[in-house]
Amino acid sequence: MARKIVLCRCEDVTLADLEHCVSRGYADIEEVKRYTGFGTGPCQGKECLAPMAAQLARLTHVAPEQIRPFTSRPPLAPTPIKILAQAPDAHRFDDDEGRDPPT
Amino acid sequence: MRAYGDESVAAAAIASGARVLSRSLKYHRPRTFFCLEGHCSGCLVRLGGVPNLRACQSPCTAGAEVEGQNAFPSAEVDLLGAVDFLFSRGLDHHTLMTGSSVLNRLANKVVRQLSGLGKLPAKAADRLPDVISEDIDVCVIGGGPSGLAAAAACARAGKSVLLVDDQLRPGGSLRADPRQGRVAADAAIASCNSAGVRVLDRATAIGFFPEDDGGVLAVAAPEQLHRVKARAWIWATGGYPVNLPFADNDRPGVIAARAVGRLLVDHGIVGGDKVCVVEVPEMIDDAEALAQALAAAGTDVVRVALSAALGARGRSWVTAVDTTHGRVDCDLVAVAAIPSPASEGPRQQGCKVVLDPARGGFRVVVDEHGRTSTEGVWACGDVTGYLGPARSAEDGARVGANVAGSV
Repeated sequence: MARKIVLCRCEDVTLADLEHCVSRGYADIEEVKRYTGFGTGPCQGKECLAPMAAQLARLTHVAPEQIRPFTSRPPLAPTPIKILAQAPDAHRFDDDEGRDPPT
Repeated sequence: MRAYGDESVAAAAIASGARVLSRSLKYHRPRTFFCLEGHCSGCLVRLGGVPNLRACQSPCTAGAEVEGQNAFPSAEVDLLGAVDFLFSRGLDHHTLMTGSSVLNRLANKVVRQLSGLGKLPAKAADRLPDVISEDIDVCVIGGGPSGLAAAAACARAGKSVLLVDDQLRPGGSLRADPRQGRVAADAAIASCNSAGVRVLDRATAIGFFPEDDGGVLAVAAPEQLHRVKARAWIWATGGYPVNLPFADNDRPGVIAARAVGRLLVDHGIVGGDKVCVVEVPEMIDDAEALAQALAAAGTDVVRVALSAALGARGRSWVTAVDTTHGRVDCDLVAVAAIPSPASEGPRQQGCKVVLDPARGGFRVVVDEHGRTSTEGVWACGDVTGYLGPARSAEDGARVGANVAGSV
């Protein structure tokens, strides 16, 4: 197996991928997320956000306290869709009437 | 596979010698357990026809069918692992076969077959979960040392308290630390119960919705959705085990030191005969406690500083760690990195965080009372920067008393 330093195991993002990304000019954490896909897998950044941010600070010579995390959005953990099915604000589709566009 | 009734699928699988469980998304590298706390993607399995369940958070049931995911023909032997060799220097999907539109369409078709996570469930859900509304004085998120202490302090002061914990059993890092252990965890839970705290276990805070009824926290339990409203919130979500950067740090058998401790302390499982602990200076006390407990259980332990660790060896399971002092043969690597503060929930409530690598990552900023930057939102324990179980419990008790005095 090829030698790789893996920073995000969900999306297989390596330190080399981060270096490549920074070399192309994507050096902000949201840009790095969009370019490499890190933080978008089942862990949603729980395992990779802090190590990635620390490496980004090192590679870009930015002080750690200047680096912001990427935006946190629900759901915070993988959630079966059935959990939300009976929520009062859940949008229901009626198969007979065709599908309404989501509002 | 044989298991105890209250055991997780992961613990039973490890005790039975299971190794590779799945393959990674892009390079199809072998994957298995890492954190054993339900927060990484290492142990996703298909269980009873339902995909992408975490083996470490799924209780064993008699006759349950557990299958690996994302590999052909099996997780141990996966032909798609060739992707890892073919793209040994990395794979930039932005420029992969984009030269010709025909090739690009073909590449997209192939990639869609190769990637993705699991297959659809075998059937629809038997019943839909109920929605339960909760309206309480104090909601504590996280049932580790700080959360249990904070909840008990609030309840003793007469507040109505709901504590939500996402694990099979509350106790958090107490259950993974040989200096604390099950006895300490059970004592902390008992003092919550006697103080009148309502504890929801296997319940995960999945999001805060400020626009709903003045702010609702959605909490997902296996068969219920709780819509929680509270006068005060205490985030006690602790920190997540993370990996350290050395070559092939994703090799199966490289697992979090806290997971090695959890196996030993909470499950009575010795994870390996020869354990190599790779550690950073900030975690030296924790690594020492784990090494002593492993040695007492009959395991050979070698401790290696991250600065001396060159890389892991082995194919489907780790066999050694190369170091600047030579090769260390082992059958398990315990990674002692600073846990990363679990601050994404507080971030949804607008709490200020700061990147502090020496304290594990993006820690929630609190004042001397435990107040965050958001009114009515408090935090204690490792989510405010790594403290360890003993100091987290003290912090929780102190902040809990402060919250009770303010609500």
